[in-house]
Amino acid sequence: MNFFNKIQDQAIYYQSYLKNYYHILQLPVRQGPLRTIQHLKKYPWLWQLAKVNCLLDVVTHGRSGNYRKATASVVEMIVPNLMELLDNLDADPDRLILHEDMVPPEILSAMGLKTWMSELLGILLPIVDPHSVEKYIDVAENAGIPPDICSLPKSTMGIMLNKEVPPIKAIVSSNSPCDGGMASYQLIKRHLDVPMFQIDVPYNFYNERATEYFANELKKMIFWLETNTAGKMDWDRLRAICEERNKMAEYELELWETIRRRPAPLAAEAVFLSHLWCFNVRPGDPDGTLLFKKLVELARDNINKDIAAVPNEKYRAVLWNPPLLHFIDFFSFAEQHYGLTIINDSMSYNRQPFIDTTSEDSMLKSLAHIIMTGPMARHTRGPAENYFNDMFYMYSYFDLDMILIAGHIGCKNTAALNGILREKCRNKGIPLLIIEYDLSDPRVVTQDAIIQQLDRFMENIMKERRN
Amino acid sequence: MKSFYVAGCDVGSTTGKAVILNHEGIQGQAVCPSEIDPEDTARKVLAMAYEKINDINTPQDLSYLIGTGYGRREIPFANENISEISCHAMGAFKCLPKTRTIIDIGGQDVKAISIGETGEVLDFSMNDKCAAGTGRFFEMMAHIFRMTLTQFSELSLQAQSIISVTSQCSVFAETEVITLLAKRKSAADIAAGIQSSVAKRCFTLLKKTGIQPLVTITGGCSKNLGLIKALEKRLRQPIHQLSIDPQLMGAYGAAVLAMKNS
Repeated sequence: MNFFNKIQDQAIYYQSYLKNYYHILQLPVRQGPLRTIQHLKKYPWLWQLAKVNCLLDVVTHGRSGNYRKATASVVEMIVPNLMELLDNLDADPDRLILHEDMVPPEILSAMGLKTWMSELLGILLPIVDPHSVEKYIDVAENAGIPPDICSLPKSTMGIMLNKEVPPIKAIVSSNSPCDGGMASYQLIKRHLDVPMFQIDVPYNFYNERATEYFANELKKMIFWLETNTAGKMDWDRLRAICEERNKMAEYELELWETIRRRPAPLAAEAVFLSHLWCFNVRPGDPDGTLLFKKLVELARDNINKDIAAVPNEKYRAVLWNPPLLHFIDFFSFAEQHYGLTIINDSMSYNRQPFIDTTSEDSMLKSLAHIIMTGPMARHTRGPAENYFNDMFYMYSYFDLDMILIAGHIGCKNTAALNGILREKCRNKGIPLLIIEYDLSDPRVVTQDAIIQQLDRFMENIMKERRN
Repeated sequence: MKSFYVAGCDVGSTTGKAVILNHEGIQGQAVCPSEIDPEDTARKVLAMAYEKINDINTPQDLSYLIGTGYGRREIPFANENISEISCHAMGAFKCLPKTRTIIDIGGQDVKAISIGETGEVLDFSMNDKCAAGTGRFFEMMAHIFRMTLTQFSELSLQAQSIISVTSQCSVFAETEVITLLAKRKSAADIAAGIQSSVAKRCFTLLKKTGIQPLVTITGGCSKNLGLIKALEKRLRQPIHQLSIDPQLMGAYGAAVLAMKNS
């Protein structure tokens, strides 16, 4: 890499760094010193989130040029968005709703409600600081929650049990994606003593009746929210949100098309973290659309200049299941030490992305369809074929060399499939690594032990030594 | 002209193993208890292996040396180090080319290895987190019976029936066995129960990688005939014996690879 490129890479980093800190520092300015101190005392996780800019180090480490620019742009999107979400700590409690990650936030936003996604902290905190949710997991386990439940609902429950959640008016949850997650809301409801609506996602969803049924569930949810909160449904606003989301989805499809190319022009956080944030936390945000437009442009530019995201790309893989939250550097580690480009994760790969905005009913049906057939919902419930078909589709569509499974020990639903999966991959001759780890608790399997698993697999199966 | 010898040195958690090869075959081999420092183990076991070879006086006299086993990265005079999984696969394949499934039971871990038609590793699965089912587990069990490992193995072969040992954890299994002995249950039947419980664990591991015939066993525990009998019963197929001491298989595989890579 020449000197000019190095300077350019440094400039990308520092530009983002300063921008992000500007947004982080705006929060205490908006809230004032007294409220800030009160919040820091009441919500100790704010100390961790104040370090969110360290995510920039993770995503830019070892990356250069457009790839670096793309991953930095994702963090530039997350940081101000997160700070805006934290404004909800002071939101009108009549409008603040606690919602589960499987509940479509589009509807809640269209109703003029402020949202607090229960699982967001459980996801974000270990990304920012690997050890940050351990204390919440301990709180939940000490309160009698079985230790073998997924650490995401456990950390979420721990936060709730510690009352480190802003005052809310109501809870909206669902029966997805797993029993542990679903059951956790009974505890949260009882502990926070607020009304809750739990939408029922049908188990067998490959038919029109299921879509009708689930769209009707969403209607019931809207009615319930209008009765129990200050929110009122604004269908025009929902249409605007859905249309914006569709634009973002169009760009995302284009992005996926570009990363089919070998070597990939962009990968990892530029592809999965952008989806995780923009589609699950802020769908319909025009800034999200702009981000995806930029990602597509950067990918196209790399293709035109024949530049690979990972210059020494030798292998391509997909990471199945959620990314390793407490070891988010895993992607760049694999790139630098093995020339292994992890181009995407399974959670981001939703092949049913568009919303029909022609009528109120069509919007609800499309949203219902997206939720029902979304990767996490369809992989952790329903027939095992959903899981395998998607995986092998991605394997051939993205011309992969191996499949890496993030074998989260708390996920009983997917753990149960591993035996069949091994058998299927063996028959197809697909190299498979099931990484044993815990989603958010590094005490169960440390980062070193995760690396050891990758090392053994790469050395023995792929015959590749670590650089 | 200097003679051509290559070697494989397997520094395991319990024992060090070395095999010296030339174009005519194995010229030297040795097993010794592991020292605290893996380098010391390697030096010691290699010295034992080349003791009777006049041309070799130091490890540097070897044309090529491959280290394997848990201490493989701590052998500074090795030309290369290769994981024990690949070495066991190569060693077993070289001895028995039709082998497709290997169960390797070492002092502190257990591995199931699936290999292809050229000896390459297709898949593997291992337990290196729990002592149950490892060589260390058998040592503990033999100690309860006040026996050597060989005596314990022979005892299990005399069983009339099998008394199940339900505890999976080594510590609790020890408690369970002591309780059974205190109840004056047949020692041979209890010993067979221990072998059977380990065979079950191995079977679970083997299922992950797929069980294709021929199946063979490597590692120190391959000398435990009671375990082999229990494994054959569980797998419903014979465990094929290797022509070379299976405990040496990692070192032998490393030496074979050294011959290829030199």
